[in-house]
Amino acid sequence: MKLKGRVINSGKVQAEAIVLDVPFSFIGDFDPNTGEITIEGHPLSGKNLANKILVCPSGKGGTIAPFIAYQAQQKGVSPVGILCRKADPLLCESALAINIPILDSFDQDPVTSIRTGMTVTINHDTVEIAD
Amino acid sequence: MAAGEYGAGIAKCMDILIKFGEAFGAEKMVKIASAHTMPKEPPELLRELTAGVTQTGVFTTLHPVMSAFNPHHWRKMGIPEAFARQEATAFEQREAIYRRLSFYQTYTCLPMLVGNVPLKGDYLSWIGTGAQLMVNSLVGARTNRDGTMVNLASAITGRSPYMGLFLDENRHADMVVELEGLDPYQLTETDFGAIGYYVGDKAQERSIVIKGLDRGLEITHLKYLMAPLSTSGAVSICHIAGVTPEAETLEAALGHRKPAEVLSVGRKEIEATKALYGGDGHIDMALFGCPHCTVPELKKMASLLDQKKLKPNKRLWVGMPYQMYYLAQQMGYTQIVENAGGVMASSCMAAIPDAPIPEDVKTIATNSFKAAHYITRLTKGRVKVVIQDMAACIQAITP
Repeated sequence: MKLKGRVINSGKVQAEAIVLDVPFSFIGDFDPNTGEITIEGHPLSGKNLANKILVCPSGKGGTIAPFIAYQAQQKGVSPVGILCRKADPLLCESALAINIPILDSFDQDPVTSIRTGMTVTINHDTVEIAD
Repeated sequence: MAAGEYGAGIAKCMDILIKFGEAFGAEKMVKIASAHTMPKEPPELLRELTAGVTQTGVFTTLHPVMSAFNPHHWRKMGIPEAFARQEATAFEQREAIYRRLSFYQTYTCLPMLVGNVPLKGDYLSWIGTGAQLMVNSLVGARTNRDGTMVNLASAITGRSPYMGLFLDENRHADMVVELEGLDPYQLTETDFGAIGYYVGDKAQERSIVIKGLDRGLEITHLKYLMAPLSTSGAVSICHIAGVTPEAETLEAALGHRKPAEVLSVGRKEIEATKALYGGDGHIDMALFGCPHCTVPELKKMASLLDQKKLKPNKRLWVGMPYQMYYLAQQMGYTQIVENAGGVMASSCMAAIPDAPIPEDVKTIATNSFKAAHYITRLTKGRVKVVIQDMAACIQAITP
């Protein structure tokens, strides 16, 4: 399956997807030392985002989130791409701080089209999904 | 600038600003009049973005070193040593860059009190939700609620994408707030704080205009009213009808549209909001300066502490800019507060983002809803915070 989206930061990368059904922030929802998701009570809490492609509805507040994303990248535990329904400013800033591809406004909903564990290939404005 | 003619750092900053601006529909970049940034950058990122740069692109002041850590006072504050050592190393690396590139080391959340004074209509990139709200509302200068990345890139280049609150049409109030049966001159600092905390929760991201306040109110009162609006909510602009620069009249503040909502606040709402942070009387620490203390507040504090010492095992943290500290020292206030046992530091008293509150502190009294909100959440309930006016907070820790 292929999705087409709007490119905010372009790139080419292939990795496993982690699909969240809630808006995400690098501060509060994420441990920058380990790469683990830390959303209290969420079934994906404890899953590791290191070198994965994050799929989520959007981002949310937390002014300092871009610095936290950068810290994680320094430690080698940041995600390598972000696909979302609609990027909010802080998720966008976070992706730009670590210069990873980020896309939004897809022709099909990435959150329901992609499942955790699928292999995703981002190539500029095209996202290819394989089981 | 994005082409690299000014060096790799500027090129990287412009690349970020352009991509960000395009994502949110900005048609151009504009020059900003000043910046205010958060001294919490990973030092490697700061080095990367300032490669080839000889000074910031615009007059830039600094927010408090976040987390309540202060490089000179952490020991007296009782902040755990391991935590402080880790913060201190990054601080020293950043400080060398700040000196070289003229990031002015104000370390305050109220930069307009210490020389970062924009004019009405100026474009800015300021960090800190309280400072953003106050400069938008009280000065009528224009800053978006930038995150730390766009903010830092804007400071280094002196440019920001033309979007959001830079545009006239996005600066009008959607909600009218009416004060019901309240005399503004009888309201205390925690009354103002309760109004802000209550209204912020109702308004969420909407801009508001308040009716029934007049010009005689001091900045101290306005500070306690405004800071909680961006704590319980995410309000960007709080006009005051007939007072603030973009609210000559109520109609002007609303952009001559009908308000989407009218909210009434009276004594009942104030008391119910204060009850969210009620307490039983036992207090380990009093905390002031969220947002940072003004000089009149330091004068009042000194008069309340004159000839007094804190009771054994009690603490007092006071947050203010260094510049205000020196003024208060000239006036003889700091000596009284410090002799009593207080620590005065240009730290973040809401203790964002990791709240290194000393282990022996179980209960804090403060006059700040913002500090109460964040410390309660960041310590996950380990520390209980009680809201009281300054006099009651001091009474709780002195004989």
